[in-house]
Amino acid sequence: MDELINKLKKEVIEQLNLEEISPDDIDPDSSLFGEGLGLDSIDALELIVLLEKNYGIKIEDPKDGKKIFHSIRTMAEYITEHKK
Amino acid sequence: MNNIYINGSGNVSPQATTDNRHFLENPLSFEVRRLKCIDPDYKRFIPAEQIRRMGRIIRMGIAASKLCLEDAGFGAAAVSAGEFVPDAIITGTGLGCVEETEKFLTSMIRNKEEFLTPTAFIQSTHNTVAGQIALMLKCHGYNFTYVHRGVSFESALTDAMTQMQLGEISNALVGGSDELTANSFAITSRLGLWKQNPVNTFNLLNDHQRGSVAGEGSAFFFLEDHQTACSQAILNGVTMFLNPSSPQEISSRVRDFLAVHQLNPGDIDLVLMGLNGDPRTDILYHDLVESDFPLTSLGYFKNLSGEYHTASAFATWLAAMMLKTQTVPEVIQINKPPARLEKVLIYNHFQGKNHAFILLSRP
Repeated sequence: MDELINKLKKEVIEQLNLEEISPDDIDPDSSLFGEGLGLDSIDALELIVLLEKNYGIKIEDPKDGKKIFHSIRTMAEYITEHKK
Repeated sequence: MNNIYINGSGNVSPQATTDNRHFLENPLSFEVRRLKCIDPDYKRFIPAEQIRRMGRIIRMGIAASKLCLEDAGFGAAAVSAGEFVPDAIITGTGLGCVEETEKFLTSMIRNKEEFLTPTAFIQSTHNTVAGQIALMLKCHGYNFTYVHRGVSFESALTDAMTQMQLGEISNALVGGSDELTANSFAITSRLGLWKQNPVNTFNLLNDHQRGSVAGEGSAFFFLEDHQTACSQAILNGVTMFLNPSSPQEISSRVRDFLAVHQLNPGDIDLVLMGLNGDPRTDILYHDLVESDFPLTSLGYFKNLSGEYHTASAFATWLAAMMLKTQTVPEVIQINKPPARLEKVLIYNHFQGKNHAFILLSRP
């Protein structure tokens, strides 16, 4: 799981072009949106594409997004459960 | 008809042009085939959470527009806080947001039109620069972008002047922006636009290779219907024409244009020409000098900016600054500069196809 979390951090930084943020700056349990990394709705779309492109996971119900993208750890858990 | 004043300007270019208090004090020469802009510290102009989504041309445009408003006397803090809102934002660009368009198209090809991400697409449209400036300034006024090849900037100027003359608006933020990427440089190289070997930019006019030196830049101007302590120049007029049939037609066009302003060629103190070192098309400038401006002071600017669709925005900045400071930098002089600078005529063409004259005078 730790390996996947570290990989995800790097992918999120690259996909969202988070300048001046290193993987070590991201707490895997802190919120990605709002108070945490401060991501917004466009970032959410980018993360949906990231899951589909890099892990072959398509989110069928948008309502699930809030739970899946809560933090890097929740993303990693979802990937582990659903990776094809 | 009331005068239209350039009351502020901002310029991001391959030269140190982001501080108008130091007007081309140390012009830079390069041994290159393409010139790249000197990037200012964009974080001074754009919040960190927004800058990460912006391509280079957008950053350049926002920096130039904010520098322009600061130059017009609106404090940096007020500009950043969106406390000043222009009546209109009008821009011109030849190729638009090339970097983001490339990202978007490359992603489409690599991923077989799947997994398309929104950011590059949103940022790839031609009007993104004007749109992002409007968002940052909280400007809900007229917002328009002209994509008219080599007269895109002149089209933006014409729109602003027309609306100001009609009383629709009393001020406008007007700019021209173009960026060059490695891909766009490679493609346009194959079209024969650029010199095959690097050239010293200060020796641009003496190099006999075909083509020019590629460039890029973003320059913005704050136009108002009244004079202020910051006024740099009066923008008297702009005219554009396509594919002139002969040098005589260009001569006729300039005389007609000047006549509208009750001027003759002899009334012009300096002609600032878009000579770009390409012998195939520079001949058109030489012909016009010979026919209409044989005794006039002459200058050029593409040794500083390089060639691009909206290079005339750089020329407009140069002319306005020359009129304000009453100096003609040595680096742009072709012959003896005038003792006094009252009227400057810019003549620029892009590849011999899109031609334009811009007339500026001292406030």
